[in-house]
Amino acid sequence: MDFQAIWLTLRLAATTTILLLVVAIPLAWWISNGQSAARSVVQAVTALPLVLPPTVIGFYLLVGLGPLTVSGRAIIRLVGHPLAFSFAGLVVGSVLYSVPFAIMPLVAGFQSIGPEYVEAASLLGASPARSFFDITLPLARPAVLSATVLVFLHTVGEFGVVLMLGGNIPGSTQTLSISLFDQVQDGNYTAANHTALLLIGFAIVGLVLVYARRPWRHLA
Amino acid sequence: MPSLPGPTTRHEVSIQHRAGPLALDVQFTLDAPWTALFAPSGAGKTTILRVIAGLDHPDQGRIVFQSTRPPQPATEVVYVDKASGISVSSHQRAVRLVAQRPALFPHLNVLKNVTYRLPSTIMIGEARSTTEQHLESVLRLCRITHLTGKMPSQLSGGERQRVALARTIAVGPSRLLMLDEPFTGLESDLRDDLIRDLKVWCSRTGTPVLLVTHDIGEVFAAQAHVLKMASGRITASGPATEVLADERTRLVQRLQP
Repeated sequence: MDFQAIWLTLRLAATTTILLLVVAIPLAWWISNGQSAARSVVQAVTALPLVLPPTVIGFYLLVGLGPLTVSGRAIIRLVGHPLAFSFAGLVVGSVLYSVPFAIMPLVAGFQSIGPEYVEAASLLGASPARSFFDITLPLARPAVLSATVLVFLHTVGEFGVVLMLGGNIPGSTQTLSISLFDQVQDGNYTAANHTALLLIGFAIVGLVLVYARRPWRHLA
Repeated sequence: MPSLPGPTTRHEVSIQHRAGPLALDVQFTLDAPWTALFAPSGAGKTTILRVIAGLDHPDQGRIVFQSTRPPQPATEVVYVDKASGISVSSHQRAVRLVAQRPALFPHLNVLKNVTYRLPSTIMIGEARSTTEQHLESVLRLCRITHLTGKMPSQLSGGERQRVALARTIAVGPSRLLMLDEPFTGLESDLRDDLIRDLKVWCSRTGTPVLLVTHDIGEVFAAQAHVLKMASGRITASGPATEVLADERTRLVQRLQP
């Protein structure tokens, strides 16, 4: 069993999930409340990774973060090393690649909450920020849980972006799915089987978590 | 020494608003302790309340609150003035509305719903016991003392309405308390008791009430000043016995064998 790859994968998935939720919760709230034309454009852009081949995202990130572009050179000067083929680069790629898996459940969750609860809080003197944390976020808890689990699992299972952007460096960029690919290339089917079973285990546990949740009775 | 006149409040309301098939065009003054907006369904009552509360924005209109507390000079707060672009957000108007649908926070139990926005947790000593007394009297007034541990999904429709009322008056004195058909579905004894107790409560806190209803019994129970509305306009204004004389006669005739 490749414990180095397991640890790296879990670390990558956890970092990605936390960073992405911090960005996606306000963005999804804005999308679900917005009326401007910008809203649908932003929503469409956030759904792009769902339909694009992961290699496309990986390729542009590789170029964008590397020494060939202005942005890449700026990042290299800032961080001291290229983000490509590093853990930090993998995090950037994973966050972008999983954006729809956070945005979609969150937008659906926020939209399913009737406006009357926030209105009631507002009439009791609660500011918009106050009612967001007191009312909206707790009521959207099932959606936040879905987004968390889906992003985590999606990052555990991602392959194309990681291979393009991170390569295959044990301990730094070799995740479980890359390790599985390696094991098959080497003809080591026993190890590959163990890795594959482990990935299936993660997925099942996570998905059961998502579907076992109970919505608030009134919303059902 | 001559006694000073008591504190008075008044709201000057002027709204022109088009929403779907309804063209709303009303001007009125709220200066009675209880005012009842009496109208059939679809006349625009709820829209008026939502505009005063700041939940809807009128096409044209001006809503001003004036308060006199002798011997201090009168103060004036403009909630809305379309002409000069003023619109105070709903959470800053200190206007409360008990909506037709109670909208209790489904993730909080009855007690937490009622104490939402009550700063009880940071209070100690005397202030805390005052808050607790206040809370107790609110629960008693709304007859929900036995429900505090329940979740909103476990309540009946009438219980939910009473919790929504309790949540609203628990916040404390406000510039205006608006009730949108809050007693619908309550049996008439309970309704009359509630109205009586609420009247005492509101006169003690100096809170004027605007009651929206199409139930003539509620208007008479509240002995309110009546604004009668039809299809977006105010058609009559005065004491219930005058403005609703026809309705009353019709109702009494129907009750006679």
